[in-house]
Amino acid sequence: MDNETFYRSAYDGSKKFHQHDIQTANATGFGAAADDYMERGIDLNEQLVINKPATYFFRMNSNAMETANIFTGDILIVDRSIKAANGKIIVASVNGDLLVRRFCQNFNKAMLCADNKKFKDIQLDEFTQFQSWGVVTCCIHLIDPSLLAFNNKD
Amino acid sequence: MKAIVDCNSFYCSCERLFRPDLENKPVIVLSNNDGCIISRSDEAKKLGVQMAGPYFKAKPMIEKYGVTTFSSNYHLYGDLSWRVMETLRMLVDKENVEVYSVDEAFVNMEHIPAETLHFTTKEIKETIEMWTGIKVSIGVAPTKVLSKVANRLSKKNKIETECVMVLDSEEKINDALQRTSVEAIWGVGYQYAIKLRQLRINTALDLKRMSTSWAHRHLGGVVGVRLIKELNGEPAIEMEDELINKKMIATTRMFGEPVKNIKDIKEAVATYTSRAAEKLRRQNSAAKTISVFIVPKEESHTKHFHHGPSVGTYIHLPVATSITNELIKPAVQLVDRLFEEGNIYKKAGVMLSNIVPDTSIQGNLFLPEIKNNQRLLMNMIDNVNFSMRDDVLKFAASGTTRDWKMRQELRSERYTTRWNELFEIK
Repeated sequence: MDNETFYRSAYDGSKKFHQHDIQTANATGFGAAADDYMERGIDLNEQLVINKPATYFFRMNSNAMETANIFTGDILIVDRSIKAANGKIIVASVNGDLLVRRFCQNFNKAMLCADNKKFKDIQLDEFTQFQSWGVVTCCIHLIDPSLLAFNNKD
Repeated sequence: MKAIVDCNSFYCSCERLFRPDLENKPVIVLSNNDGCIISRSDEAKKLGVQMAGPYFKAKPMIEKYGVTTFSSNYHLYGDLSWRVMETLRMLVDKENVEVYSVDEAFVNMEHIPAETLHFTTKEIKETIEMWTGIKVSIGVAPTKVLSKVANRLSKKNKIETECVMVLDSEEKINDALQRTSVEAIWGVGYQYAIKLRQLRINTALDLKRMSTSWAHRHLGGVVGVRLIKELNGEPAIEMEDELINKKMIATTRMFGEPVKNIKDIKEAVATYTSRAAEKLRRQNSAAKTISVFIVPKEESHTKHFHHGPSVGTYIHLPVATSITNELIKPAVQLVDRLFEEGNIYKKAGVMLSNIVPDTSIQGNLFLPEIKNNQRLLMNMIDNVNFSMRDDVLKFAASGTTRDWKMRQELRSERYTTRWNELFEIK
């Protein structure tokens, strides 16, 4: 058995694997029939991380985006290689703070809107230092509280 | 054409990524143990904060001007460095990238047509910045030495150059060399710089005009000839393969607090040994010699050979190994031989040398079964530590409390490598 296979899932987290990585049954002579149908198990990174060097993780710590189903404690996957566009939920740098908001733009003005009526919209005018930091592509919401405890423990 | 991509004040840029409030403000990063200043933002440079200067000396100025100070956060810097290099590899293909240091890489630009060179370079710069959040400067020129010259000048005048300088004509090259003093040339050391100055060779342009036979006589032989060739636009330093296996692996650290207890030193040495063994396994090697040294705080009269203020000794192992416990045992024994009661120690280190390919990796037929199992165990430990971080699995010899651990009072969170240190956003 190739010892390198121990590393694979932790290191790559992607579709990069080789035919030889699939471990055949330890039978002498003939491999099990199922070997012919072996493939790599499902890896969330394949689906959720499109551009790895540009992908960052954040933890949500407010209810500003409640209506968009982003809750306190959720993990946000943010891709910096996507441009902010009208309607996208983005991470924005506003006057030195990082915020998650919906980017709203029409012909003559731009603003950052919370998906929660209790929050005020932020007008992006010449008095506001604004830069898009990245676009939120995914929100991971844990349902089972025991999973949450595990998740925060590290 | 060759390019050098160099991150701007890399460690400071990493810290700013999650602190946009520090944009355009003075920022510095301290070395391990908060000893001296190892990275300065442009604003801090302008205030006169010195590179590699001791932190305590700069402290009054830092407080006066409100310079934001960070302890080094190598987990964050390492991850961001990988992101920058990976972006580069995705853009120009990995065989064209030679990672030169944590924040610099040479790029082979041969395949890019001359007329689009400037445009492509800008695209690379902007993509890296957009994807990773790290600002870079790029110098492009026919040779590595000239690309370094271009890079330096682009950084000196960021607004005008927009951090990109392409030297694609004789005229541009000569102009750039005229603006570069000899000591600023890549590969010219302090001693040579003095010598050149005495010979009235003041700028890189003056040096370029010297002959190769002169360089052979006065500039260290072949090395000098290469330098002259490179300055004349003739490539003499080629792209190198990455991942050359190291011939020696060392782990040394300063203790957070001086240590006078042999138990603490042994724990530290055991930890450094497992760290070094991990590096050893990563390059599939085994080591035959292990050396340990410890550095007393004050001058001490020791019975062992003096190498400056440190005392050290080594041992040859019967068989080359990469197994942590086989290395920890002799390492700790060496501490017994070095340690002197009553001394206070400030630093320790472990060095593995006599490095050979690890024969136990493939499951060696000629080794007893137990040895193969140990290698397997090491792989599993490395794998668990890699995915869980911070040495979840370690040898009991490395202790559990670590009183001697590094001082890092001002470290930021490890935002990109730890689940429990993610940036909390509102």
